[in-house]
Parts: sequence; C-alpha cells; structure tokens
Amino acid sequence: MWYIWDLSILLSVVSLVIMLFLIARRMLQERRGRAAADQRRQLLTALIAFTENRDREALKVRLLGVPAGIAIDAGFEFISLLRGEERDDVLVAFNECGLPARVGRQLQKGNVADRIHAAEMLAALGSEDASASLLSALAQDRSREVRIAAAIALCDLGSLPLLGTALDFIGVAGQRSRRLIELFRRFPRSRFNELAVHASRADASPFVRAAAIDALARAGGFGFADFFAGLAGDAAPEVVAAALRALGLTGHAQAPAILKRAMENDDWEVRAAAAESAGRLGFPELAAPLSRLMDDEVWTVRYAAANALRSFGQSGERLLREIAASEVSRSQRTASLILAEGPAL
Amino acid sequence: MIAGWSHEIVLAATILSWFIIGTGLAQTTIYLLQLVVAGYALSKRPPVARSALLWQRYSDVAPPIALLVPAYNEALNVVESVHSMLALEYPNFEVVVINDGSKDDTLQRLIEAFKLVKFHRPYEEALAHKPIRGLYSSPMTERLFVVDKENGGKADAQNAGINVCRAPLFCVIDGDSILEPDALMRAAQPFIDDPERTIAVGGTIRIANGSKIEAGRVREIHLPRRLLPLFQVVEYLRAFLMARLAWSSINTLMLVSGAFGMFRRAEVVAVGGFTKGSMGEDLDLVIKLHRHMRDMKREYRIQFIPEPVCWTEAPETLSVLARQRSRWQRGALECFFRYRSMLFNPRYGRVGFLGFGHILVVDVLGPVAEVLGYILIPAFWLLGILSAEYLLAFTALIFTYGVCVSVCSLILEEAELQRFPRARDLAVLTAAAVIENFGYRQLNNFWRVKGWWQFLRGNQGWGEMTRTGLSGTKK
Repeated sequence: MWYIWDLSILLSVVSLVIMLFLIARRMLQERRGRAAADQRRQLLTALIAFTENRDREALKVRLLGVPAGIAIDAGFEFISLLRGEERDDVLVAFNECGLPARVGRQLQKGNVADRIHAAEMLAALGSEDASASLLSALAQDRSREVRIAAAIALCDLGSLPLLGTALDFIGVAGQRSRRLIELFRRFPRSRFNELAVHASRADASPFVRAAAIDALARAGGFGFADFFAGLAGDAAPEVVAAALRALGLTGHAQAPAILKRAMENDDWEVRAAAAESAGRLGFPELAAPLSRLMDDEVWTVRYAAANALRSFGQSGERLLREIAASEVSRSQRTASLILAEGPAL
Repeated sequence: MIAGWSHEIVLAATILSWFIIGTGLAQTTIYLLQLVVAGYALSKRPPVARSALLWQRYSDVAPPIALLVPAYNEALNVVESVHSMLALEYPNFEVVVINDGSKDDTLQRLIEAFKLVKFHRPYEEALAHKPIRGLYSSPMTERLFVVDKENGGKADAQNAGINVCRAPLFCVIDGDSILEPDALMRAAQPFIDDPERTIAVGGTIRIANGSKIEAGRVREIHLPRRLLPLFQVVEYLRAFLMARLAWSSINTLMLVSGAFGMFRRAEVVAVGGFTKGSMGEDLDLVIKLHRHMRDMKREYRIQFIPEPVCWTEAPETLSVLARQRSRWQRGALECFFRYRSMLFNPRYGRVGFLGFGHILVVDVLGPVAEVLGYILIPAFWLLGILSAEYLLAFTALIFTYGVCVSVCSLILEEAELQRFPRARDLAVLTAAAVIENFGYRQLNNFWRVKGWWQFLRGNQGWGEMTRTGLSGTKK
C-alpha cells in the first residue's frame, strides 16, 4: 500500500512544479506578447501609409524591422483587404523582402495550422517558386488537410496537376472532405473536362463525383447537359441526385422524362432531387408525377414535391388547392401545409 | 492490529476496504490514463486558426445549421441571448427558440423585441412532443423562428425544435448560455472535414461568472470571485479537457453536453430524438447514437473539439449546486441502467467496455465507495482493525491523486490552449486545484450519493435552478 501513497506524493509534486514553470513561462509570454502587438500595430500603420504614399523603401524598412512571423501574418491579413494595383504594389514589396521564401519554409516546417495558412499565403503572394513549394506539399505533406489546402492554392495559381494525380496525392481519407467542393468550384473553365472525366468514373467515391457534378453545373452551364443526363442513370444514388440537381440548373430536352423516371427511384434523396429540379424547370407535364410524389412516405420528398408544384405558378397553386380540398390523405395534408406557409392571416 | 477483533470482522473490514480502495484505484487509473491520452491528443491537434481565416477557408462549404434554444422562464435573459445568437459568425444558420410553456413573459418579451408575427411553416412530425401553440417569425430577420408550445421539459422542447428546423445539422444550446462568435464555425469543422462519418460534435463549456459581459458577449475573461464557481472552473477543465478529449480521441465519447452540442439531424431522428423526462437527456442521446450506429454497423465519429466555447453561468450557492449535482448523478444512473445491456457487450466494442466501464466505475460505484471510505477507513484504523497503510492509501487516492489530476488538467490547458488571459489567473486556479480536494470534492460526493438515493426512490424532479442572469457585468 505504501507505493500508492509514495507515487501520489511524487506525481502531485511533479505536477505542481510543472505548473509553476508554466506560470513563469506565461509571465514571460505576456511581456513578449505586448511587444509583438506593438510591432504588429506599427507594421499595419506602415502598410496603410504605403497605400497612400507608395513609398516602397519605407515599407521595406518596416517589414524587415519586425520578426518574420509578424510581417507574414499582418501582411497577409492586410493584402486580403486589397485589390488591383494597390495589392500588386504591396506584393512586390513583400517579394523584395523575401517573405514568400519564409512562407515556403513555414509550409515545410510549421505545425498543421501553420502549414495550411502558409499554403493560402503562398497562393495570395503568387511568387515564382510558390508552385514548386505547393506541389511538394501536395505530394509529401503528412496531413491531408494541408494537402487539400495545397491543392486549392495550386488551383488558384493555375498549377494544379492532373485532377486524378491531385486526388491520389490527397488520399482516400481526404476525399471525404467538403473542402474538395471548394477545390472543384475553383477549377478553371479550360479544365472542366477533367472534372467531367472524374465525375463519370464508376470507381471514384460517390461524394467526390457528386462534388464534381455540382461544380460543373454551377459554372459549366448547358454545355454539360448531355453529360448530366447520362449520369442520371448512374448506379450510385448520390451521383444520380447530383446529376438531377445539375439538370435542374442547366435544363435538357429529355429532362421531363428523366425526372419522371427518377421520381420513382428507390432512394428518397434521388426522388427529392428530382422534385426539386422539376420545380426549377417548371415543365407542366411533371405536375402529375409531382402530385403523386406528395404521397411519398418521406417528408422531405413530399415537401420538395409540393414546393415544386407551388413554383409552377398559378397552375401549380390550383392543383395544390384541389389536392388540399380532397379527402384526408398524406398528399392532402402536405398540400394544406404548403399552401398555409407564410404569415398567418 | 489490536488483538481481540474476531477473524471474521477483520476479514470483512479488509474486504470492504479493498473494495473502497480498489474502486478509488480504478477511478484514479482511469483519470491518469485519460490525462495521458488527452495530452497526446492535444499535442497532435494543430494550434487553431484565427476566426477570420476560418471564415475565409470554410464559409463557402459550411453546411446550414439550426440553433435550437429551449427556453423555460428565461424572460430575464432571452432577448439578449437571442440577439447574441443572431450575431454569430456563420454563413448559413437559423435560430429556433422554443418557448416551453414558460410561466413568465418569455414569449411576450420575444414578441415585443423582434416584432414577431404568427407564421405557418410546414414541418415533419418526426418526433413526438407536446402540442405546438404557434410558430412565430420576425420581419426584422429571416434567421429567427420562435416555437411556442405547451410545457413538456427540455427534451420535449428540443424534439419540437428538431421537427421544425430544416437544416441537416442542429446545435443545441441553453437559453442562458453565450456562444463565442466563431463557435458554430469551429464546431462545424468536423462536419466539413469528414461529413459522411461525423454525426455529433461537442464543444467546451466555460464558466462565465466573474467575466465582463456586454450585449450578450463575453468582453473580458476573469475568474469568478467566489470560491464555489472557482472550484467549478477547475472541475469543468477536468471534465472537458481531460475526460472528453481523451474519450473523443478513441471515439468513445459518451457525453456531448446539452448546453452546447451539434448533431446531424437525420441520425438523431432515427434514434427517436431526446428521451422525454430523462434527467440526463444529453448523455442518453449520445448513448442511443452509439448504439444505433453500431447496430447498423456504420462508420461514425462523435467528436469533442476544445476550441468552440460556450459560456454558462455556474451555480453560486451550495443549495443550487447540490440540486444540480444530484440531478446529474440521477441522469448518469438512469442512463447506465437503461442501457445496461451495452455494458461489456462485445457487440458495442469499446463503447461497451470503455465508455460504459467508465460510467460504472466513476458514476455508479465511485461516489458510494468514496463516501463509504470517508467513514469506514478512518473508523477501522481508529478501532485498530486496519493498519495505517490502508488509511494512507485511501488518503492518497482522495487527496493527493486528486491534486495531481486537477493540476495536470490545468497543465494541459496552459500547455496547449492558453485561454486564461493572465498569469495571475493560472496561479489562482492552481491554488483552487489543490484546495478543492479538501472539502469541495467530499461535498460533491455526498451530493452524488444523495442523487443515488433519489434515484433509488424514483425521484424525477429537476428542482429549481435559480440563476441571476449573465447579462450584468462582473459578479
């Protein structure tokens, strides 16, 4: 039993000693923190002055006069507020002071948060060797969040490798992140075909394929309508739902038939997506299948169908009123609820 | 040992002492292991990005969130709380306040402050709850909805909110709590990084007593001036930084606090929402989620992340704190016995072994063994039935290991997070971490045993939770 007592005394004393050390460390940090805040304030003042007088030499003196970490941090925060010529001038000063090289080192040696931030800063600074540093991070960094951040930064710089290669680097676990949606949304128009190729790959994760379809639908326009129509028959429900939503944005000659078929799909998310797109496209021939869908067992589908009918305008409203006035049923209740939505009279 | 005690008495005393010391040892070992795991998890966590960077990075892909705020007799704070929630930094959220049949003028204050008008909003009646008397929206902001319903308790109100909300994620928060402006963005991060597997995320609850609060925001962080809330600051550090972080890192987190937790709506609806009338509805929900996901053999994550912070008011009087702790104890016991089939059940893996094992040792056996020890171990020693070794071992488990665990939680906080602004605060908290083991801890265990007794007697009352309100300045 003695060892329980002895060990407890030892552990308590050790923990108290460590805590005292941390308190002392904190006192030192407080002092340094005040100095750093002063330097940061002075640098931001110099940056504001630069936008007025464009005295690059004065700015460089100030940039080199503060620790690199403060210069990088405050500098990035400041340039994110600037646009156009002003921003370009500040960037030139940053490049001449060697800040991108320091950020590059941070991308290699910082902790995960620092490395992600460094990737974002490199994209903003746009220096010559930024792409090489980011490519190396994309290929070699051990954190998937950093690899995704590097891919997004490379995309902004127009240096992203082939999408398949980039996704291989990001890894399977990283391909579940919603950050990929952001990556795809930043894709340049000239490389949309890569997104299309990936969206149609049956061996790729449905989440990634759906994200690619979403990005194409937002920016690709009608040019991809045939492609979306083809994917509406895919085996993965997530992909089909994304394709249907895309068709709702672009439209397609076969859209009514495709949506009508999708409204009978076994997966409720597909049925809901079909209803949503039907509402957006407003084809009158879809009113009947939509009114049937208002009897669906899943509320989300019923709600989407009723909403779609409502967006048809007067004809849809009329149909909803007829259903609401009919015998009590799921459709009748849904129609009543949708018609009542809004301020109570 | 004094001669004269019969062998049977000595044997009985020895067995009882071993049970008491064994339970204490098991509890202490769990705490020390949690400290190691939490320390490792914290060291692997990257320092956190600033709010502005988070916004830049995640705002385009952040999923919609409904903030559910059950309010019962919250007239004192509700308007200010809602104002502060509406000002949260998140791109896509709605605030759903559920007036749970308040007897005061909570609803009237909301109607006046936000010019609320009755509104019809279709919703899925996926979860059962007491009837809704009316829904209200505000012409001042499209983010605010108020549900006025008959009184049914917190879980019932939250279920009504889940029905009415439309976002795929919802966040529960107490009506009198204050979220930090970036809390939603930080809590949503796991749902962005791993949207398919993440089903629930808990953040840190911190005690606001003593801090300077203006317009529903914590402007200056200060420690409480009174001893009772100060001890609770240390307790909360232990609970969140040590226990939850450790369990979260091995996906065995059993509790996402009802004061601030984010959940995926579909899974919560699938398990039937919050259990009505439960004393520990938050613990109950998380256990149900674990059971459901494991029964379905689906991959999932229930995570705790320390950065999103929700500020709450801690009880400042012994009577209110006693009621709260007894209720928490009843909640833990109720959940343990309700889902006892999961204990050590291989079907539930580490949740059954570690999660439920932890509840068994710390919540079910722990308080009873410790309070028995306060009385029996010194008595056995004084009567000469047991040697001083037993007394020392028990003293070590109650006091010195307690000091070590509390101070180590503070070390984790300072080494990795540094959220207390001044070195002086750390010194005060270190003193509190030592002192709380001499009196406060024992008091707490008596309240927990009282909770056990109430549980055995079937007492289901919540008791009044008197609050003075966070809207003032320093207290």
